[in-house]
Amino acid sequence: MNAIIFSALIGVVMMLSGIVIKSKTGIKNLAVILLFVLLGGHLAEFYGVFNIHLDTHEMLATTRFGMFFNTIVITATLFYALLSGDEVVKVGTYGAEYFALIFFALCGVTILSAYNNLLMLFLGVEIMTIPLFVLTGSEKKNLKSNEAALKYFLMGSFSTGILLMGIALYYGATGLFTIEAARNPNDTHHFYGILLPLGLLFIFISLAFKVSAAPFHFWTPDVYDGAPSVFTSFMATIVKAAGFIAFIKLFEIRAFDMSFSWKILLPLIIVLTLLAGNITAVFQQSVKRMLAYSSIAQAGFMLFALYTPNEFGKQGILLYAAAYSLATIGIFAVLMKMKDYTFEGYNGLAKTQPVLAAANTVFLLSLAGIPLTAGFFAKYYMLAGALKESSSNLWLVIVAVLFAAVSVYYYFRVIQAMYFKEGNAETIEVKPFFKILLIIVAAVIILIGLMPSLLLDLFYA
Amino acid sequence: MGVTQILFWFLSALAIFSAVMVLVSKSPVHSVLWLIAVFFAISGHYILLNAQFLAIVNIIVYAGAIMVLFLFVIMLMNLNKETEPQKNLWMKLTGVVSGGCLLIVLISLVRQATEIKDKIALTNKGDIGLIKVLGKTLFSGYIVPFEISSVLFLSAMIGAVVIGKKD
Repeated sequence: MNAIIFSALIGVVMMLSGIVIKSKTGIKNLAVILLFVLLGGHLAEFYGVFNIHLDTHEMLATTRFGMFFNTIVITATLFYALLSGDEVVKVGTYGAEYFALIFFALCGVTILSAYNNLLMLFLGVEIMTIPLFVLTGSEKKNLKSNEAALKYFLMGSFSTGILLMGIALYYGATGLFTIEAARNPNDTHHFYGILLPLGLLFIFISLAFKVSAAPFHFWTPDVYDGAPSVFTSFMATIVKAAGFIAFIKLFEIRAFDMSFSWKILLPLIIVLTLLAGNITAVFQQSVKRMLAYSSIAQAGFMLFALYTPNEFGKQGILLYAAAYSLATIGIFAVLMKMKDYTFEGYNGLAKTQPVLAAANTVFLLSLAGIPLTAGFFAKYYMLAGALKESSSNLWLVIVAVLFAAVSVYYYFRVIQAMYFKEGNAETIEVKPFFKILLIIVAAVIILIGLMPSLLLDLFYA
Repeated sequence: MGVTQILFWFLSALAIFSAVMVLVSKSPVHSVLWLIAVFFAISGHYILLNAQFLAIVNIIVYAGAIMVLFLFVIMLMNLNKETEPQKNLWMKLTGVVSGGCLLIVLISLVRQATEIKDKIALTNKGDIGLIKVLGKTLFSGYIVPFEISSVLFLSAMIGAVVIGKKD
């Protein structure tokens, strides 16, 4: 509860601070301080020190899993603000408002990690995405940004419509909005037979859209490419992970009767997502667009957590959220320092900016899932969970590993450009503080890669 | 025949007449204006059914906001005789068939529903649609979503200012 209330209030504080604070660094520093406050408030609840208790009438149910996820998300946002906060205020004239919107989106994320009622799911999804529509279009003079915002808004509206339709059908079948209702459907209702699966399917489609799983991924490359890089970084990491948490919370309820059609539908979507993301990423010329496709590909791996609703899957998605978010935030932070976003723009970066190149290499290795980085264990947990669920999933695991091998190609293209190609990569000014932070993030990724138990022990502590 | 019944028949006749006028009016602007009359008649029905909240929301949202939007769109598109698209026979036929299908479904539904058989309308019964009851529910069981939606509106407002204001 703390995280929801704090993030909403901090959003208001941030919004009003724009009246008083005029300097751009001041706004950024305030945002970082407030993020520390948010993290502190959340940890206080996590460790039972201080908690604002409200009777939510079972609308929200805070679980250990959700709280742990919130910790990861808020920490990732903190790293994001530290690394890229300067770019946020540079996008336009409304730095304080951009940060306020980021805090509101965080409020949506925390609701999604705790919802127990489909009304809250709807509110959480909307609170999370509406600020994103605005942030996508915040670069007003840029035609691509405008186009991306309009596309995102229209597609997002339709997917919200589908979500509401699904919730309505769900309500029609069970007479309740609680997610528990799917477990004990009201048998006396004679339409239950088709209404509930149909409703769940609609909700599934809408959430699949939010996490950009194929075949609902077509908006992703254009939106991620068109949006200002700094907001793409936020959208592709924190928001996407939150989508998965919402997904898992709803569908783990149904896990007890993984029906036949469900067992066909999900692997199909996983394979399609991996295929669409990986194969298209190979042909990209711009690193930013490549990262958009790679985020689709990573979503394919995260979908495994949905397919294997056991402890492995749950731990795996936490690990994946942490590994993927940190690595992607780091890559985008480096990307924003580049003057040229194409692969050629990275040529010879190792000579001009060795620290940036080295940290970027660690992030890329982690995304590719190379051992000794956090990404390896994240992928391992996902695949191991699928095998544990049933050995008949072996084909799916093999397909996933093959696609992970494909992904190595386009991630390594950046590394190759940085280290083995002649060129003079031009960057904007890089502060020493930024370099130190990058090294810290890279160190965290390697640390999690060496000892994933460090992170997961916290989960059980 | 009591006052309610007279009102009921009057509103029903008004609603059906206006609905027919929506279809037969040549000018799209007239169609929209007739549609507003339909919404008002239906809102009257809601009040007869003791659903005050629904009645007011129907007027504010449908007759107010959505119809104004319709009018704007029609005026922006600048519809007139010359730009009117040619409707061929097939198009008309499909329209009749699909509309007729919906009519069959609705009629069969009303005929099968035993609860409403031989009843004109459940006028003045039940308190589920009263604003008092609704308010109590909203501020007890649904207080959390009600309050949290304020965050949604606030972020939408900030968004509108950020996007709309001149740099």
